Amino acid sequence: MNAARYALGTAGVLLGLWGVWLISGSADEEELVNLAVWLAAGVLAHDVLVAAVSLAVAAVAATVLPQVARAPATVALVVVGTVTLVAIPFLGRFGASPTNETLLDKNYVAGYLGLVTLVVACAVVSTVIRVRRAPDHTAAR
Amino acid sequence: MRLAPSSEQFTSRLRSAHVAARVGLWLGVCFGICFVTGLVSHYAQEYQQPVPFPTSPAWGYRLTQGLHVVTGTATIPLLLVKLWTVYPNLFAGFPRRGLGRMAVTAAERASIAVLVASAIFLLATGLVNTTRWYPWEFSFRSTHYALAWVGIGALVVHIAVKLPVIRDVLLGDVDDDDHDRPSATSEGSLSRRGLLRTTWVAAGVTVLATAGATVPWLRQVSVLAVRSGEGPAGIPINRTAESARITDAMVGPDYRLTVAAGGAETVFGRKDLVALPQRTERLPIACVEGWSATGDWTGVRLRDLLDAAGAASGSDVIVRSMQERGPFTVTRLPANFVDDPRTLVALQLAGRELDLDHGYPCRLIAPNRPGVLQTKWLQRLEVQA
Repeated sequence: MNAARYALGTAGVLLGLWGVWLISGSADEEELVNLAVWLAAGVLAHDVLVAAVSLAVAAVAATVLPQVARAPATVALVVVGTVTLVAIPFLGRFGASPTNETLLDKNYVAGYLGLVTLVVACAVVSTVIRVRRAPDHTAAR
Repeated sequence: MRLAPSSEQFTSRLRSAHVAARVGLWLGVCFGICFVTGLVSHYAQEYQQPVPFPTSPAWGYRLTQGLHVVTGTATIPLLLVKLWTVYPNLFAGFPRRGLGRMAVTAAERASIAVLVASAIFLLATGLVNTTRWYPWEFSFRSTHYALAWVGIGALVVHIAVKLPVIRDVLLGDVDDDDHDRPSATSEGSLSRRGLLRTTWVAAGVTVLATAGATVPWLRQVSVLAVRSGEGPAGIPINRTAESARITDAMVGPDYRLTVAAGGAETVFGRKDLVALPQRTERLPIACVEGWSATGDWTGVRLRDLLDAAGAASGSDVIVRSMQERGPFTVTRLPANFVDDPRTLVALQLAGRELDLDHGYPCRLIAPNRPGVLQTKWLQRLEVQA
């Protein structure tokens, strides 16, 4: 098992070095600096920004929402959060071209809001079902 | 005041190796699919191919590139949840004694830094590229390709390092607490199985929201598809005539397509092309950015045209466009594509005259070929010796 792991690890290092060699051959100094900025910015965007926002949202949800709504809300937040990240280049339309009407040619704001509404509606319906199924529901009434 | 938290402050039992390995397994599968399909796409675009890219199946490139973009997009929620489950490890203490242990820990942390940085880079640049947004100074194609090797290498190292843990937790129950941090004990509103299901749902929703650009029956569902699928003759456009600086004067009655073979040149006006036997082929146009569509193309079979110009079969053809700039102004069509009966110099799409944005007066359309190599506004075909 350990021999296999060392072999695997060595193979991984070689694959990675091949990639480094490829990039060092195809990019000039300015491009390499820009690439380094992008690599670092990606890690910081996640480890600082995305992580902090998700911790803050979770903290707020935990204080604001009743216990019964928390699980559906967590599911909805994970789905909405990832969809929102994916939606950024669509909502911003940064790649849109004035001469090309076939590119980014949907109403992304409406589509995104519709999708978010659908996910939130699912979470609300799920919460209502959980409340009705709760053992103390009839007693509380 | 400490700016960074310590790993003991993260108490959720969801942040466990048992969850991380299960999400990581699918993350690895998706990265593997992306890597292999990416290699296919990169090779298909190589100017010189030691082994010619196959012409069949005609939908092959459409499938591999569609898979590349769809699995890449599905990876975004998987990566986010994976990073969430292991986030406390970012703040784990560093060994203060033992040079060997310190070196091993440093090497492992470095490999993870490379893995995370390249994974985020590949997904972010890939997603942004599907929308044709290029907010960077480097070449997308060569950088995305090189970083894919770095990323897959770092992933293989990571699997090698974690293999005993991965095996333990995947063979055990998801709710086991071996391999958990001592502080990871608090029950939240969601179970571990619940979090895993949530992750699969998030990946599924992300795919459904975007895949309509390449899967026709998802067009209405995919609210974040990069293209609606509409366009002249029912096919979207990647590069317009205007952006390629093709003017009306260039495609007027004086337009000529030159075929050069064996030192002789034969010139065809558009009327000459129309007078040759016309064929119709149903072929996909599959863009490297992941969108694709099927069209009924009508025109002259390339082999027929070359025969009319007296060119023998079995030779590569250099294809030149009238566009003056751009990385694919000149492309090489390997002999197997040249001689494939489905390869056309197309004059019509869906029974209508080719739109200027689709390459009027004529364009190349061949089976199983990346969209960027389906040269529009043909100017010159040079049969190689």
